[in-house]
Formats: sequence, C-alpha cells, structure tokens
Amino acid sequence: MKRRTFLVFTSALGLSSYVQAKENSHFEKQFKTVEDIISAVQEHFFPEESKIPSAESMNLTRFLFHTVSHKSYDRDIRAFVIEGAKELQKREKTFLFLSSQEKEISLRAYEETGYGSNWLSRIMILSMEGLFSDPIYGANIKEGGWKALNAYGGFPRPKTRYIDV
Amino acid sequence: MLMEVFPDQRQGILMYDVVIVGSGASGGAVAYTLCKAGYKVAVLEKGRLLKREDFSKDELAYCRRDLVTPSLFDEYHTIEEKVDGVWQTTPTHESGWSFWNGNIVGGSSNFMSGMLHRLHPDDFRLKSKYGDIKGANIVDWPISYNDLEPYYTLAETLVGISGHYEKHPYEPPRSTANFPQPPTKENAVVKLFDKSCKALDIHSLVTPRAVLSQNIPGRDACYYSNLCGSYGCSSGAKGSSREALLKPALATGNLTLMSNSYVKYLHTDKKDKVDHAVVVHTITGKETKIEGKIFVVAAQAHESSRLLLNSANKHHPDGLANSSRQLGKNLLFSGGGSGQGELHQDSLKEIKFEDLMTTGLFVNRSVLDWYFVDHWWDGTFKGGSVEFMFEHQNIITRARQDNYKEGKMLWGTALGEHVIKRFTNYKNIRFEIFNDWLPNDDCFVALDPTHKDKYGMPVGKLRLEGHPQDVKVGKYIAQKCEKILEEMGAKNIYSSISSGAAQNLVAGGCRFGNDPKTSVLNKYCQAHDVSNLFVADASFMPTGGSVAYTWTIYANAFRVADHIVKTLALR
Repeated sequence: MKRRTFLVFTSALGLSSYVQAKENSHFEKQFKTVEDIISAVQEHFFPEESKIPSAESMNLTRFLFHTVSHKSYDRDIRAFVIEGAKELQKREKTFLFLSSQEKEISLRAYEETGYGSNWLSRIMILSMEGLFSDPIYGANIKEGGWKALNAYGGFPRPKTRYIDV
Repeated sequence: MLMEVFPDQRQGILMYDVVIVGSGASGGAVAYTLCKAGYKVAVLEKGRLLKREDFSKDELAYCRRDLVTPSLFDEYHTIEEKVDGVWQTTPTHESGWSFWNGNIVGGSSNFMSGMLHRLHPDDFRLKSKYGDIKGANIVDWPISYNDLEPYYTLAETLVGISGHYEKHPYEPPRSTANFPQPPTKENAVVKLFDKSCKALDIHSLVTPRAVLSQNIPGRDACYYSNLCGSYGCSSGAKGSSREALLKPALATGNLTLMSNSYVKYLHTDKKDKVDHAVVVHTITGKETKIEGKIFVVAAQAHESSRLLLNSANKHHPDGLANSSRQLGKNLLFSGGGSGQGELHQDSLKEIKFEDLMTTGLFVNRSVLDWYFVDHWWDGTFKGGSVEFMFEHQNIITRARQDNYKEGKMLWGTALGEHVIKRFTNYKNIRFEIFNDWLPNDDCFVALDPTHKDKYGMPVGKLRLEGHPQDVKVGKYIAQKCEKILEEMGAKNIYSSISSGAAQNLVAGGCRFGNDPKTSVLNKYCQAHDVSNLFVADASFMPTGGSVAYTWTIYANAFRVADHIVKTLALR
C-alpha cells in the first residue's frame, strides 16, 4: 500500500497518532545508539575552551534530536544523521575514549571522505542552529550563543516553536 | 476584522462579481479597487492566514524551514537544465531549489524588503530604442509610461511608500513633487557611501521603500528590527498586500477571503467565458466550485501560466486563452548578481565604528547612473540599477559563512575565534544588481508530463536559460560597484554575476500586446480569447526592465482593476 494511502487509511480509523508515536519511538531507540558519539563530535566542535559556549552547556544534542525527529524534517537527512554516526563508530570503535588530539586526527580522517565531510557538515549545521536559534527551541541557553557574538534575535521573539504549529 | 470562511460555512452567495486567484500584491490591489467600488469579490488563497500578531523574527522557522512555503514533497516544480548538451529535468524536492516565495495571505509581499523602483519610460519601448538583439524576443509594450504613471503614484499612498525624490537623468518623471512619507532612518554608513560616490562622480540616490516611516491609521511605522526581508512585519509598516489592501477591502464588507483554498483549474462551458473555479480546501480536501462574472488570475507569474495551462479543455486544448501559443513563454527573471565588501574597524573612514555597528537602521541607497549606457568606448546598451544594503542580518546564516581554512572545516577554538571576529570586527556592505533578463525561447514554464502535486495537478516545468547579454551587463555594472566599495575602504571585495534565475523575481508568461497572434493578453491584461478572464500579476510583462517588479505589479494591478470596474459597470 502506498505510504500516503496508508496514512489516510489509518487516520480514518483514528490510528495515525498511534502510528506516528510508533515511528517516533523507533527513531528514538535508533538515536540512543548513536547519541553519545554525536554528542562527542558536537563537544569537539564547541569545546569548553572555545569563545563560543560549549555544546554541552547549550544543550545541543537534545536540540539536534528534537529537530531531526520532527515529522517535517527531511527523512533522508534524518537517516543520514544516524548512518553517518554509525559509520564513525565503525571506523573508530573507541572514539569516546580518545584524547582531544586523537579525536581531531580521527575526525580529520573522516573528513577526507566525501561521505564523512557531508556528515560532519550536517552535524555542524544542526549545532549552529541550536547555538544561535531562539532559546524557545531548547538550546542557546540563556542566550549564551547570542551573547558570545554580541548579536541577538530580533523582536518580537517567537511565542511558539515552528515544530508545534 | 479579518474573516476567514469557506463557501459551505456561509449562507447565500457562491456567485461573485469577481473571483481572484491569489492574495499577493496584484490580487490585493484588484480586490481593494473592486470592493471599494461596491462589487462582491472572492479571493482564493491557497496558503493560510498569518496575521500581524502571529509574526516573529524566528530565523529557524521563517528562513530555515518551510513555515510559509509548501513542503517540496507536496508541491514543487521541475527544472529543465542543459547538462552536457542534453536537457535534464530535476524535481525541486530533489534539488531543494524552491520556487515558492511565500504562500500565505498576502503572498510574497509579506516577506519582501520593499526596495521599490518605477520602470523608466524607455523600458516600455526597448525594441524601438535598441532594436533587436539576436536570440532575444524583445518587443515594445502596448502601453506607455504615462498610462501607468498615475497608478505608480496611487500605490505610493495606498501601499505606503517612503522616500525622497531627487532629480536624475534616468529617474522616471513623477506627477507629484515627492513621496507621501520621508525616508526611513539610515545608518551612519550612508555618510561614507555618499562621500565615496561623490569622489567617483557617481550620483547616489535614496531608495524608495514600501515601509512606513510614520504611523498611519491602522499601521505603525517601522521599528527598525534589523530583520526586514524574509520576515513578516510586526508593526504593519511593510506595504504587504495583506496590511495595505486586503484589510481595507475586508472592511468594506464586500470581500470574501478564502484561505487554504487551492485552485485546481478554471472551467469554461463556452469558448470565451470562464464560469467557475474548481477549488480544493487544503486541509479537509473538500472540493467545491466558485462562480463569478469575472475571473482574475494573480498567482505569481510562473503559477498563473501553469493554472491556465492546467485549465485546458475541449474549447482550449492548448491551455486556457492560448490561441497565440505564447502562454508560459518568455518567462523573465532578473539579470545581475551581487557583491560585497567588509568594513573593518581598523580601517574605517569618515564614521565611528560603533555607529556602523548600530543595528536596525537601513542603508537605502541606489545608483541609476548605469541604467542606460551610452559611452564612446563601452558602447550603447541597456544597463541596470543597483541597490546597496548591509548583508542580511540573520545570525545563523552569518555564523555559518566561510568557515573553512585550506579546504578544511573550522571547528573547536579556531572556529570560535573566527565566528566572533566576523560579528565584532567588521560589517559587510553589499550590492545587488538588477538588469534586464532578456526574454528568450529557452525560458518558459510548461506542464510537466509526469509530475503532479499532492492535489493531482501537473506541476510547472521551468526552463530557465538566460541570454549572454544579461551576464555582460551584470559584469559591467559590478566593476563599477566594486570601485565604490574600494573608495569606501572596504576589504575583501568580491562580486558574483550569474546567469541563474532568481526565483523571487519572476515575471512574464502571458505577455500583453495588441495582436492576439503574438500575445496572450490585451493592453488591459484581459485574455484575447476569453473575455471575462484577466491576469493581474507580473505575467503580463513582455520585457522586464532593470528593477525589481513589485511596484510595477502593484501599479499595473490598480490600472487593470480600474478597467474591470468600467467593464462591470457596462454590463
């Protein structure tokens, strides 16, 4: 059955929110298997020592998860985020235990591949979106990202997140 | 009070005097004029209604997600490009190259920066002035600047255009002394800009803006949010069709504004009359017919042609009103490109750095010196116009730029340094060039033979080839602009002229003319073949001129609306 027909069918039966929830919980399980390595990459991009607040302090992994798991997010890119993380795990099984310099070497090597450079770029985009979007999206904690740039979001600020519309 | 209804929710008429497809600049202008004249009007807008109080400067929502445009998986275009000598078609959901410009009530006029210019009188007669250019389909217009001038002036008051008139050999003549409102506030950088132009014997002009500098009843002046283009306006200052025209039209009680209403096609029962529009509610999927005496298509040029092509039937096998076979042909974009330079703290002349870095205030400068080129060495040809502005102040966009060193991504502490320098050590000043996109046989919209949107209607297939002259003119002007930035002391100056189509500057497809064999519309933008059908958006333009189309769209729509009033009065 074609996907659109399936969704219309299940919504007619009142099942669509159940199907959506099932899809979501499946993705959440997948994400949990790569959450640590994505987090580590984001922290390498934005470490404590940087003049821009650290990824951890700005809640960037949570933001990334909420962004890509939303139903409106391109599902090919969503899958790519997971697959690219798994690929890095395969290449570097002990990535989480490497020193900062060793992580640097590993990521630069991953960057040498077209696939790796695309994935790293995607994680960077999603991290910067977190750092510099409105705090209503759960990152840019206390406008820390904006403060570092001395550039602030315009008024009026959003009262709702686009993902809730 | 804004009313949003769908026909089966209302008692009474489903038959209107005028049915307008699209609520953007031209749809709003026609609705306003007809409602004020006492006629019953329906506006069918496929997007939803977002009101002034719904807007915010949420960069993520408005600029990085499809909040105000359809998802490309639901509604899209296909683009035909020549790759290695072979035409290849790519759906835009694959390339991500969206040809949607804002599908909400008021259309893309909600999101423009509102830098407006009138066409010059010679833009109406480019063939007579310059003759033919090989490979281009240049024609004179069936009207003159004088026919449109009163409506350019009308738009200044109705839409709300602020500015300051200064005499210039290439500035179009005006019937009133000056704009109804003075210019919006400017950043101190204009002192440096004006001085630099003067040193180069270039005439800098204040850019007219569809942005109120002063309050008017119901709309407040600009509050200098620092984020104008790409965002809906939260004060009502921006002259969107929604604020300036649809609101007063609704206040007459004569307007039925139907949002979430997608028009599949127009139906004709006889050869020369449209009798109803077939409309799908975008949320419920319910299909209905909307009847009218007169139909006005105003869905934005590439979509208006598509609608008429999709309205083909046994009376009109090649598309509605297409006996000329010109429907969809000679689509126009804008030639030109853009450039940029960095104004650094350590080399800033004339003004203080903290004044340069002040947010919110505009640059509002344009140059018309090269609108027509008539030079002993450079030659005689149609040139173009230039806008100067700060780079768009979106934070995520600016943070992401140029984060590479020797081909590798910057990250870690090096990235932190780099990005913060970008935001605190300099400010980018930018120019945008507009020159004629020459109409040609390889720039048109047709129906895609296989791809359909989520409503089952064939999507528009766009072929977007430009003419080499467009790039020549763009490069010529870019060199002049780079010299201005040099004179200002800018660093790292570069420009980029491309033959690519800018999707937010689309016109043509239903050229108007006196001869039904070579044009789709007559000089009142009425279809030659179908007496109760008008096309009011930029589709009518046979040639583009060297400025953005918005003011011309507003003005011409008011003119067409006046004619429709006359037509209805005679019935």
